[in-house]
Amino acid sequence: MDKLTHGFRIDREKCQGCLSCMRVCPTHAIRVKDAKAQYRPDSCIDCGVCLRACPRDAICATTTPVEDLSRFKFKVAVPSPVLFGQFPTGITPAQVVDGLLAFGFDEVWDYSVEINLVARAIQQYVDQWTGPTPLISTQCPVVVRLVQVSYPAMVDQLIPVQLAREIAGREAKRRFSARLGLHEDQIGVIYITPCQAKTISILQPAEGVVSNLDGALGFPEVYNAVLACRSLKKSDAIKSSRPPVIRNSGLLRMHVSEGMGRLVQQHRYLRVTGLSNIIQVFNDIEKGKLRNVGFLDAYNCWNGCAGGNLTVANMYVTGSTLRSLASTLPEMDPVTEAEVERRFPNEDFSLKAPIRPRPVRGAAASLKERVQMRQLAEDALASLPGLDCGLCGAPTCRELARDVSVGDASKNDCVFLSKSRLQDLRRVYLRNTA
Amino acid sequence: MPEELLRKAFEIHGQDFENAGERSAEVTTILKDLDVDPNIILRVGIVAFEAEMNVVMYAGRATLTLVVTDHEIVVEVADEGPGIPDIELAMQPGYSTASDEMRDMGFGYGLGLPNIKKNSDVFSLQSEVGKGTRVLSMIRLISYG
Repeated sequence: MDKLTHGFRIDREKCQGCLSCMRVCPTHAIRVKDAKAQYRPDSCIDCGVCLRACPRDAICATTTPVEDLSRFKFKVAVPSPVLFGQFPTGITPAQVVDGLLAFGFDEVWDYSVEINLVARAIQQYVDQWTGPTPLISTQCPVVVRLVQVSYPAMVDQLIPVQLAREIAGREAKRRFSARLGLHEDQIGVIYITPCQAKTISILQPAEGVVSNLDGALGFPEVYNAVLACRSLKKSDAIKSSRPPVIRNSGLLRMHVSEGMGRLVQQHRYLRVTGLSNIIQVFNDIEKGKLRNVGFLDAYNCWNGCAGGNLTVANMYVTGSTLRSLASTLPEMDPVTEAEVERRFPNEDFSLKAPIRPRPVRGAAASLKERVQMRQLAEDALASLPGLDCGLCGAPTCRELARDVSVGDASKNDCVFLSKSRLQDLRRVYLRNTA
Repeated sequence: MPEELLRKAFEIHGQDFENAGERSAEVTTILKDLDVDPNIILRVGIVAFEAEMNVVMYAGRATLTLVVTDHEIVVEVADEGPGIPDIELAMQPGYSTASDEMRDMGFGYGLGLPNIKKNSDVFSLQSEVGKGTRVLSMIRLISYG
């Protein structure tokens, strides 16, 4: 696979250059040239706002093709706990597991143990931290990328502990390769994901290493298989005979409303959901207005992962289903506890490489040249109308000025500064009516 | 002799708690734009913020000047305020003349000036009672061999 720094592709046939995606992109990562949208991959944080904004379905997210799974001898599904809240009342987690097996997986992994292992590693890290606060949770890949792109001074505040699903991938490969006598490459561990951002974080982790997982499937891809499987078994009226897939409520609570709150509650915990809210909080932190936050747990989607863009059910219903499921389970169970005690001292949970800021445009130049470029951008901005109309192909006048300063655009892309620009646009956009 | 690349001055108004932090945010935005090392930005940000807060809390009006040279970043804050009678005392961590209201807002714990000094490579503080205070902080961009 060639270098993939972000997770979206634009279908040039479908794209009509309508500017919708460009206008909503929170990191200004989209430009429209010749009536076609294009990404600046370095600025894209995989938030998916563009995907929802496109009126023509011209933007698609990178996913793992289902056929890709056939290259593995043994396939393990690691479902996000949110999956268990997606189905109508009466479908138990065990039935969901049956559905995943019917779909073609050989095994379904319960990662309660890994969640608890990682939770403990995070707790230790937070307790020992003496640097600047807040520490920032890395649960949501969009937040990690937002920090890399827009708040580079805070990258060292991202908690360098691996994600539970990554630890699950490592352990599943280790365990099944030993049990089945297969090479680890022959075992495919696939995450069942509520959002495309997590897919991309598996295909291309923010820290630039190779994931322990082999790909991800969105909920829609397995949803029907689960429902179909259940209806087949309905006549038997059996409850699945499988052992419980979720042994305790910790896994679920973390994915519904608590986030990591319970783990680090003594550390002035703040949970924020929704990208615009997150950006506001980060800006307030930069301005020193939020000085007393110790731990920031932020999620791109409103309401956290239940609101992911690859979910099927209504996010509030999902939350309610997961909460009622959690209420039937113990907070901790002896099997999980014993496993956590056994594994914790023997495994390394730290991130395989540090998360670094993303290099920005024009960074190769010397400081002096960068100051000159900035001055150029300021001068260009002063001559632009400040309407942010977007007709130049950049989302704001400020962005056009910046593009001009690094040589990616011309001031004459502005319809106010160039007479021919409007003519050109007319030719491109009105070609069918001419 | 370091070459001056950029100089920008900002006005800070005393008692303007609502906009407190905005000027130092502008400073960090500029440095981010210039792709300055994030750790340097962090230090400059702390210096600018603490100095700005000192003005907001104690002084009437001040000018924050940011100077970028090819070797260093300088933040200078000169205010028309009451001045500091005992600089040595003011530099002691924990010493503060803040009111309870300021403390309620999470400020005034006597860590501002020590924090500025801690994050500076060169720090100077001049003050005259009744006239004003001038804080200068310099942070090096590169370490000399």
